[in-house]
Amino acid sequence: MGTTMTLAYTLSVLAMIALPLLLAAALRRRFPAPWWLFCLGMATFLLSQAIHLPLNNWLGDLGLLTEEMEGRALLQNAIILGLTAGLCEELVRAAGYGLLAWRRRDTGWADAVMLGLGHGGVEAMIVAVIVAATAATMAGLQGADLSLLAESPAQLEALERQLALFGSSPALALLPLVERAVTISLHVTFSLIVWQAFRRRNPAYVLLAILLHAAYDAVLVYVVQQIESPWLVEGAVVLLALPVWLWLAREARRAAATTPAPTVPPLGREWQLFGLALRKELLQQVRTRRFLVVIAVFALFGLGSPLLANFTPQLLQSIEGAEQFADLIPEPTATDAVAQYVKNITQFGFLIAILLGMGAVAGEKEQGTAAIVLSKPLPRWAFILSKFAAQSVVYLLGFLLAGIGAYYYTLWLFEALPAGAFALSTFLLLVWLLVFAALTITASTLAGSTGAAAALALVGAVVLLLAGNIPTIAAFVPGALVSWASQAPLADIPPQAGALAASAVLIVVALLGAIAAFEVQEL
Amino acid sequence: MATPQNEIAIRCQNLGKRYGEIVALDGLDLVVPTGSIFGFLGRNGAGKTTTIRLLTGLAAPTTGTAWIDGVETTRADSGARRVFGYLPQSPAFYGWMTPLEYLDYVAGLFDWPPHARRRRVDEVLEQVGLAEAARRRIRGFSGGMIQRLGIAQAMIHQPPVLLLDEPTSALDPAGRRAVLDLIHQLRGRVTVFLSTHILGDVERICDTVGIIHQGRLLVVAGHDELLEQYATNVAEIELDAASREAAPALQAELQALPWVNGVTQEGGLLRVAVSDLATARQALLPCLVNQGVVLSRYQWVRPTLEEVFLAISS
Repeated sequence: MGTTMTLAYTLSVLAMIALPLLLAAALRRRFPAPWWLFCLGMATFLLSQAIHLPLNNWLGDLGLLTEEMEGRALLQNAIILGLTAGLCEELVRAAGYGLLAWRRRDTGWADAVMLGLGHGGVEAMIVAVIVAATAATMAGLQGADLSLLAESPAQLEALERQLALFGSSPALALLPLVERAVTISLHVTFSLIVWQAFRRRNPAYVLLAILLHAAYDAVLVYVVQQIESPWLVEGAVVLLALPVWLWLAREARRAAATTPAPTVPPLGREWQLFGLALRKELLQQVRTRRFLVVIAVFALFGLGSPLLANFTPQLLQSIEGAEQFADLIPEPTATDAVAQYVKNITQFGFLIAILLGMGAVAGEKEQGTAAIVLSKPLPRWAFILSKFAAQSVVYLLGFLLAGIGAYYYTLWLFEALPAGAFALSTFLLLVWLLVFAALTITASTLAGSTGAAAALALVGAVVLLLAGNIPTIAAFVPGALVSWASQAPLADIPPQAGALAASAVLIVVALLGAIAAFEVQEL
Repeated sequence: MATPQNEIAIRCQNLGKRYGEIVALDGLDLVVPTGSIFGFLGRNGAGKTTTIRLLTGLAAPTTGTAWIDGVETTRADSGARRVFGYLPQSPAFYGWMTPLEYLDYVAGLFDWPPHARRRRVDEVLEQVGLAEAARRRIRGFSGGMIQRLGIAQAMIHQPPVLLLDEPTSALDPAGRRAVLDLIHQLRGRVTVFLSTHILGDVERICDTVGIIHQGRLLVVAGHDELLEQYATNVAEIELDAASREAAPALQAELQALPWVNGVTQEGGLLRVAVSDLATARQALLPCLVNQGVVLSRYQWVRPTLEEVFLAISS
């Protein structure tokens, strides 16, 4: 994949992940809407898909949904796919509002919008991961001999068409972003319609949301099959969304007229406060010597790994009685140095992340330092993010030293590896570690004590590490980054872009969860 | 007469907090006038700390709203936190920082520009008597120093209202005196909302008192007004050693008077509760003279705040 194409898809994927969060942040500046409602919206989407996907599979088994996408079959498929989407998503969304009503929470306009943003937001994030993985696969297939693939002639023809389209323009990377922007606004609209069912105590609104959702999805399924040009398809999508956007803008104005705005500092000032908190966190890392310890440990891993790979046979040779084992070990190469480097960093890295982050929030809550600082105008999101950002800076410097050390000693002891690929490998390991750091911050926020935070983070880390053994999701868990990092300096392998995007999503979701939980915690 | 809006520092309207079945605060309606030193008095667990945490937005109310200096603070909006300074019951700071660094950090959160910040930090450190310890790590501070740093961080941004939760409860007499003097110096410049169960502190510095018991506000009044309101009509008579033997007879004699409600006697001390204060003030002393007893003390007593507090909260 060319640089422009890579950049275009990277930006598009990042924008898809960030868009719902930016919209929610903008909403919160004008309306009081807690982040946990965004998380509830995320949960309603995930739950709806847990029903929706098996339902579609079952309908396929029954023969009601077919792979044929022409004529009457296309119409039938479009209607059924639309209806299952509408039914599953809107009914689960209604269940979300039901939960709020059961908890006797007064739900306002902005709350409904927040829930819709979460619902559409997590879908956008999942689509971003899929787009990243697909773009990487397409890039890998470009120039390859497709006839070697075990596909039918029709499928090969379709694949060739898609590859030609994919390579035609980097601007195509924008289309999924536009499509997500439209879909998010539709989710907000459906969310507002279902909200009316509870506000007016009239279940007909749920039915209306189901029908509108079904109609939109059905039209989309049909149009995609009828129109070849993706630009025209997206044009149609935007056209369909225009009245929705106008309606949403009018509703926002109406709601603003009746809802007092929260007392929040200007946006620039909020980021200044984040900067102050970050400075304090960095100073804390230095003063408490954590900075020094982390840097030293990672530097040791970086410098020591190629040395260990090189001298292991000689060490065995020098041990009396172990000489025969030395002969069993093949002549060490740069591959062994890289493998040792990745193994050392990953084996100890996540433990360091847990040790460094477990007390970040829980410790401050336990000691009472958080209550004083948060009685000042420091926003709670800035408190959480500053801790993650400070840890990221420490890890970044640690990995920088580790990477330079490992590269230099591999060069000295073995051979020169491509510096760019080695830097990429170190970057991937850093992202991998940041997932555990973000998870630990969340655990530290949820737990009542540092010990409980450590236990919770450890459980989360183990679950994440074990998830790599599930074949269907193995390519999308952070563990795939480790495989990529192990091979990147040694061979030109297809990038695991899906895992990279999924890791970014995991970091974002973990931090969002931490902020949402912290926002409602009493100190 | 209702207090004009601009003269209200703190207003609570039906402020309540439940933890499951436990009612920590039950529909608090309260107005604290601007410039007062308000003593929020209650036994342990009465709801004092809950009230302050709700006022600061650190806890969310189950019912009601509160405003400080006209700004709603119970929604926990970060921008609303500049109208008050808060000192928790057990303040804790980053031990690896110095007071200078900590106060500079806090002042920065209130958007003080660097040069003014430095000046203000020095000023406050001087005010709380920590100027000499300004560059020492907080980790080694005594309880009194921590408390003074707590007050310093609460007043660093010159807020119109200070919320102090039991500021003296963990201090020795000297530390307590220093903190009370510090609060006293603030009189007229800021409104101080001070929660405590130490009656002596309230007696000493508060001009207005609110008594809370089991989550309910029982009374709010000016300090003197409260003592007056709950004044008991009691005369204390202490007999001289030479007349002590006459005490039982005197008790019986006084008991028979129509305007006397009751008489208690303990050694040479008699407490006479009367029903008609005006008559008693004229007739009691002549009556004692007629009995021929020698007095070492004769006094119409005013109740202590402790007596009032115990009477109200029991």
